[in-house]
Amino acid sequence: MKKILTIILVLLSSLTFAKINVVTTTTIIYDLVKNIGKDEVNIVYLCRGNQDPHFLEVLPSYMLKLRKADLVFKVGLGLEKWLPQLIDGSRNTDIKEIDLSKEIQKLEVPTKRLNASYGDIHPYGNPHYYLAPNQVKIMLTEILDALISEDPDKADYFTKNYEKYVKKLDSKIIDWKNKMKTAESKPVVFFHASWIYFSTEFNLNIKGYVEPKPGIPPSPSHNAKTIRLVKKLGIKLIVMENYYDDSAPNQIAEITGVKVLKVPVGIWGMEGINSYFDMMDYIVNNITANI
Amino acid sequence: MKFWLTIFSILFFYIQVKPQSNVNPNISLIGTFNTQTFLGKDVIDKGKLIFNSPELELFIDDYLNPYARGTVDISFEDGIFGVEELYVSIVRGLPLDIQIKAGKYLVGFGKLNQVHAHAWPFINRPLFHQIYFGSEGFNDIGFNFSFILPTESFYSSLDLGIFKGDAISKTEVADPDNSDMVNNWRGTNPIFVGRLVSFFTLSDYANIEVGLNASYGVHAKSENYIKPGFELGLADNTLNYFYGGLDFKYKYRPNQYTALTIQGGGLLNHRDALGIYTSTGFPPNILNQNSINTFGGYLYLDYAFKKQFSVGVKYDYTDGIIGDNPSFYSLSNDNQNHTQGISGWFGFYPVEHTLIFRLGVQHLSFTTKLGRIKKESETSITLKMIFSLGPHKAHPF
Ligand SMILES: [Zn+2]
Repeated sequence: MKKILTIILVLLSSLTFAKINVVTTTTIIYDLVKNIGKDEVNIVYLCRGNQDPHFLEVLPSYMLKLRKADLVFKVGLGLEKWLPQLIDGSRNTDIKEIDLSKEIQKLEVPTKRLNASYGDIHPYGNPHYYLAPNQVKIMLTEILDALISEDPDKADYFTKNYEKYVKKLDSKIIDWKNKMKTAESKPVVFFHASWIYFSTEFNLNIKGYVEPKPGIPPSPSHNAKTIRLVKKLGIKLIVMENYYDDSAPNQIAEITGVKVLKVPVGIWGMEGINSYFDMMDYIVNNITANI
Repeated sequence: MKFWLTIFSILFFYIQVKPQSNVNPNISLIGTFNTQTFLGKDVIDKGKLIFNSPELELFIDDYLNPYARGTVDISFEDGIFGVEELYVSIVRGLPLDIQIKAGKYLVGFGKLNQVHAHAWPFINRPLFHQIYFGSEGFNDIGFNFSFILPTESFYSSLDLGIFKGDAISKTEVADPDNSDMVNNWRGTNPIFVGRLVSFFTLSDYANIEVGLNASYGVHAKSENYIKPGFELGLADNTLNYFYGGLDFKYKYRPNQYTALTIQGGGLLNHRDALGIYTSTGFPPNILNQNSINTFGGYLYLDYAFKKQFSVGVKYDYTDGIIGDNPSFYSLSNDNQNHTQGISGWFGFYPVEHTLIFRLGVQHLSFTTKLGRIKKESETSITLKMIFSLGPHKAHPF
């Protein structure tokens, strides 16, 4: 009898205290959810910090990760073209998809009908809002809401963690903004069009991209154009995600003397980058040191 | 009243327009253009540049509702439209998480067979496909039931299907394009196909998928073989076949610009064949039923570098002679002769998979027995251009 009672108690407790199973598409979202959900979430991510989230291969191992998930958090805006296939493959009927772009003030939303000559990987607007800390605050609210509606009993716990994290983020934002003052209005070239939200927030002056269109490899004629641009405006810095091929930027650097800065844009995207704060510190410190 | 009418019309308009503007199916158009030349002692028009007429494939594919997807693949080849694929997949909502695929499609016998030829890194279809499935691969009409297996540490699934069997008969029906003839060949006997596949993560950058395949059924009614001038020996009413297969795909992708792929597969064919067996010493015009075992397989290596280029080599072996006409003693029924192929290619992908140029060479050599006229080896050189219009697609493993 005692044994049965114990079993029932164990079963009950596992029911009441079941953790939320979460999958995130990127490591940045992973870091944010982890900071709010802490010990009450089982969490895994799909795209590694040193991988381009635009082009993730559809691997059955990802389907397995999604199989038991209650929630999947995504960047949205067409970034994760590979996600529907993975969710289908997981055969998980109960999974809830949380699109974190819902409340974001979207930038670069195409106003005319797209055709592939514009590049087709930013079809619904620019999806790289997670590089701007004030947009991350919007993401955090969405994450909090999703976790609470999944497990309302832990609302207090999640809210406390959320408030703590936002407080820290706010103080980091002040810190980053102060540092970035030295870079304000300075012209800069980026590799991929992923820095519009970042530049808007920190008043950087984007003059061009090494990629002719998002996702389109640099061409010799476009490189020549970038070289002319760098020379004419005296641009000091090309910033690129560290998972992109640096041969075109290096070519431009050889001719113009511009500095090529490779930065991580994911957690564990580089040694020593273990959180969103680490990542932004690295980006801010290196841009301000080199611009 | 007028107020409500206005509200109603606005709502109605919204409901009508909104889905139409947002919910468009994915439509892709694949164009293929081949320029070829053939070299070899017995080749007609040796070295002549052949401009094949362009081929077109139109894919329409999307969710029908939250539970099912519909796919249509219409081809236009040599002035003829054909339905290559037309199927519905129920992807969720069924007990045991079963997925069902029904219609006409590329059958899951080996990973490669399920991939459209234009998406292969090489040009020439594996030789054993041509011997055991026909020139278009294993494409058939039927039902497939897919189960995900409860392996926790790696992904594995089991597929069981029942099909009409056209692809199996095409390799022995005298006129494989004559659908009446193909239809009558096996009578109403369906065939069965099974596939067990497991996917293993070897490291952050390397994965391997291994599949076990089987297909079983009737490949012909024996009355097909009663031809004038022949007496039937010991044939049963139906002639059965069993295909057993093993395949694997390994991919090492250290970054998004580089990938090394090694893929291979093989098929063991065990079947009731009819042949003129002279070993008994009896007159050679008696057809006897006999069990034969034959084999075919391929192995290739493709190295993609700098995102825009790829080089690769492929080796093929198969029993049967490529180019033979289908019959009850050739191709899948041939255990006397065999074909080997070696091919190499260079690919150029200027922007993703929207445009592909591929230059390839394939050398075939034939080994013949039993007094058959020796077939001279031949070489083909192909320049292939593929373009793809449509939305960007996810990259499969
Ligand atoms: Zn992008």
